[in-house]
Amino acid sequence: MIEITTPEVSWIAILPELVLALGAVGVLLVEVQWKPATRVLGAISAITLVIAIFFTFLQWAQAGDALEVGGLDELVAFSGMIVMDGFAVFGRFVLLVMAGLGLLAGWRLVERLNRRGAEAIALVLLATTGFSIMVASNNLVMMFLGLEIGSISLYILAGLTEEKTKADEAAMKYFLLGSFASAIFIYGVALLYAGTGQLEILAIRQFFTEFIVTRPAVILIGLALIIVGLGFKVSAAPFHSWAPDVYQGAPSGVVGYMAAMAKIAGFLAMARILLTAVPQLDDSWLPVIAGISALSMLVGSTIALVQSDVRRLLAYSGVAHAGFILTGIVGGATTGMLFYVTVYAIQLIGAFAVVAVVSGPSSSGSSIDEYRGLARRSPALGAAFAVLLLGMAGLPLTSGFVAKFGVFSEAWANGYGWLVIVALLASVISFAFYLRVIVAMYMDETEEEGIVVSLAARWVLTIAVAGTVLAGILPAPLIDLAADAFPL
Amino acid sequence: MLTWLIALPVIGAAIVALVPGRLKELHLPLGVALAVLPLALAGYVFWVFEPIAEYQFVQEAVWYEPWGISWSLGIDGVSMPMVLLTAILVPIALAASTSITRRTKEFVVYTLLLEAGMIGVFLALDLFLFFVFFEAILIPMYFIIGIWGSDRRIYAAMKFFIFTAFGSALLLAGIIALAVTYADQFGSASFALSDLMNVQLSTSAERWLFVAFALAFAIKVPLFPVHTWLPDAHTEAPTAGSVLLAAVLLKLGTYGLLRFNLSLFPEASVDAAWIMGTLAVIGIIYGAVVAIVQPDLKRLIAYSSVSHLGFIVLGTFALTSGSLQGAVIQNVNHGLVTGALFLLVGMIYERRHTKQISEFGGLQKVMPVFAGFFLFMIFASIGLPGLNGFVGEFLILVGSYSTLPALAIVAAIGVVLAAIYMLWAYERVFTGVPDKEENIALSDLSIREISLLAPLAILVLVIGLYPNVLLDKIAPSTEALLDHIEEQTEFVIPEPGRLGDVLVAGGDHE
Repeated sequence: MIEITTPEVSWIAILPELVLALGAVGVLLVEVQWKPATRVLGAISAITLVIAIFFTFLQWAQAGDALEVGGLDELVAFSGMIVMDGFAVFGRFVLLVMAGLGLLAGWRLVERLNRRGAEAIALVLLATTGFSIMVASNNLVMMFLGLEIGSISLYILAGLTEEKTKADEAAMKYFLLGSFASAIFIYGVALLYAGTGQLEILAIRQFFTEFIVTRPAVILIGLALIIVGLGFKVSAAPFHSWAPDVYQGAPSGVVGYMAAMAKIAGFLAMARILLTAVPQLDDSWLPVIAGISALSMLVGSTIALVQSDVRRLLAYSGVAHAGFILTGIVGGATTGMLFYVTVYAIQLIGAFAVVAVVSGPSSSGSSIDEYRGLARRSPALGAAFAVLLLGMAGLPLTSGFVAKFGVFSEAWANGYGWLVIVALLASVISFAFYLRVIVAMYMDETEEEGIVVSLAARWVLTIAVAGTVLAGILPAPLIDLAADAFPL
Repeated sequence: MLTWLIALPVIGAAIVALVPGRLKELHLPLGVALAVLPLALAGYVFWVFEPIAEYQFVQEAVWYEPWGISWSLGIDGVSMPMVLLTAILVPIALAASTSITRRTKEFVVYTLLLEAGMIGVFLALDLFLFFVFFEAILIPMYFIIGIWGSDRRIYAAMKFFIFTAFGSALLLAGIIALAVTYADQFGSASFALSDLMNVQLSTSAERWLFVAFALAFAIKVPLFPVHTWLPDAHTEAPTAGSVLLAAVLLKLGTYGLLRFNLSLFPEASVDAAWIMGTLAVIGIIYGAVVAIVQPDLKRLIAYSSVSHLGFIVLGTFALTSGSLQGAVIQNVNHGLVTGALFLLVGMIYERRHTKQISEFGGLQKVMPVFAGFFLFMIFASIGLPGLNGFVGEFLILVGSYSTLPALAIVAAIGVVLAAIYMLWAYERVFTGVPDKEENIALSDLSIREISLLAPLAILVLVIGLYPNVLLDKIAPSTEALLDHIEEQTEFVIPEPGRLGDVLVAGGDHE
């Protein structure tokens, strides 16, 4: 008789994802059965997210216990597919919070979509599930699955508007280029597997400590392809060309969420692979990442200078930020990077919430002219946007400054002083375009009427601004958390 | 207590922000009243300030332990005069801003926040904290120039921001590099100035860091050839903006050079002294020559700032007792005098809506009080004995002569040029017969305007006649700085260079 051993199941490792997936399905089923008001669906998704966040707290506690008693093996679940280290739990928590903020910011879009609003909510929850798996996976194929679940949901979200608009074009473009990038990523995984015989991240690290690879060409090519694939997802130069078109074309209600999610998950996955699986090869990949980082910062901030559309401007600033975040990986540590990704995601969602208010939640395009005199028309909205932009620019007393300071210090300590100087110069260039928006808001006069800000958007902006200022003045708690959340 | 010096303006800004927008007349008076509170506190600090070398009223609170950053404040003879100057000028600048009728509330809020930032810069003893204030100042100043400035305000505001932000970027790189080196050598992170002074740097590293810091501060000063932002920013800014820009913001540069470059990189400072001195002297002559041909009063005063600040930088890098004391006290003098001159130009601008020298003439007859104040401040600026400008420039020139004799001699020409551009401008604006109709009808200064200028004039006179009121408190700190430099380097200050060898306080005292 053949004995079949079932893999040991440790449910807690995937509880947040389970809850999210159930929530997504639940939203769809409830919609089909009862056709309730959208606020009921909103309540369901809110409950889902709260429960999922609660489970991340449990996981955090368990990960901490395991570290103390040294039972690290316990954190690897599902035969090495999923890992429940602090890094994964922190990433999940951030993703869940961003999903909540993203839903709030896009709530007017959901309402406008009428019956299709349920789809939007379900897609947001599903995308969160996928990215959450991605940051928690210890297996490269698992990571690919998570990436695809997340990405495909985002492709659809990018085209989700009530009328046929540019959104279709954006969604199509995003889909084609995105799936191409996913293919590159999985090809890289295959080559890495061919070179090492391993798919598990921890096993790959083990491989490199046990063997000295004399001809690493295959492995390096695989690694390069992985970097390209993930570089696309986080819109690092030179793989960024999709971002401005998609950010501009997609409904403004969801752009912030899309951008934030892809960035968080992409960077965390990249950090996990580079810093956990192949730290021994850093002679090979550090210069590459440093190069991509420098290129992203310079390309992003210079091209942003000439943008006349706020969304394209934010897209290029996102390219620059990808470069800044990569300096954290060049620094060889995850603390600064985690902090940066977190605060940037909040700023991004907040900024696009402003765009959604000013230009309407489903419109495409948002010329800088629409922002003229905003500080006079709607002082609170203008001030919130100004704080978020200054935060992205990295001025002191905002979280952006602490974030930049953190990653730059790490990079400098790791011997990449030149990259820090490039980064600082790029920051100065980037001031110019953030200030252009502020000039339009504060120094140009207009006769137009004030703008009504919905309650949901007010909440998002309050949280985003408070987070940006608080993490800028008292960064200690968040940095401590990020420092505890290192990958295994 | 020092924390309160920073907190009071912030609280003031919050109070003003909470006053509803419809009570428009209330914002400015309230802002002035609230700005008097930090002045009272600064006055108290001055009163109980002991003439010793150590930092006083030190406050320290850990901000974030693993990074070694802390909220650490302290005041010594170098920073005390600057804090006092800031606290004096902000209420005056605010009170002089009655012509700002548009968005008054925001204006008052930004000005008070600016004050908090400026005081913070002078008090910070932690480089991280210093940088935070140094950079945070840009935002309110940017808004003040950009919203309430004149025609080309947005261009000027942007230029101001980008220039200084570029400098700050280099400064931040320098600070990070220094802190990383410290962490390597001592095993724990720290940004405290007193800790970072112990870092052992190789000669080349020290020179690079010196360049990074010096360039950042040189842009602020502004030293030739990175001064081009200054005339634009000064000319376009509203009166209060110009006053604070000239009187305090520029001093961040000279203060930074004195406080950080000299103490953190003594070796490089000694080596680079002649370079910095040469640039300073080029600035003195260049600024003066360009000022002569300016058709616009504000631009003329702006270029005179380039010239005067050259003296301060020269004094800083001449590294003698006299020159350092002169540099510190000249910081205050230039702040008082140039602040007053910008106020005066602002007052005439409110009446005539022009700053072109050619538009005026014969104002002496129409506005005698105004002319009197103007002449008084011009004399102070030129360095007439008995007024404060003389004390500073004399100390700097005498002090510099023993270490940088050639430069001191050339710099002295700058004093002559200053007399030329200032007096020529006075002649064109005030003397002669008022021939333009608009000028004949001008009203003289009101009581309110006189009460704004009088305190500055009194201070100019007090420092001019009895400079020891400040010098006694400055000297221990500058002497300690010189001791530190002599200890760390092989540089020996030639005789007469140290206190006691030199006639202190130019002629009218001791």
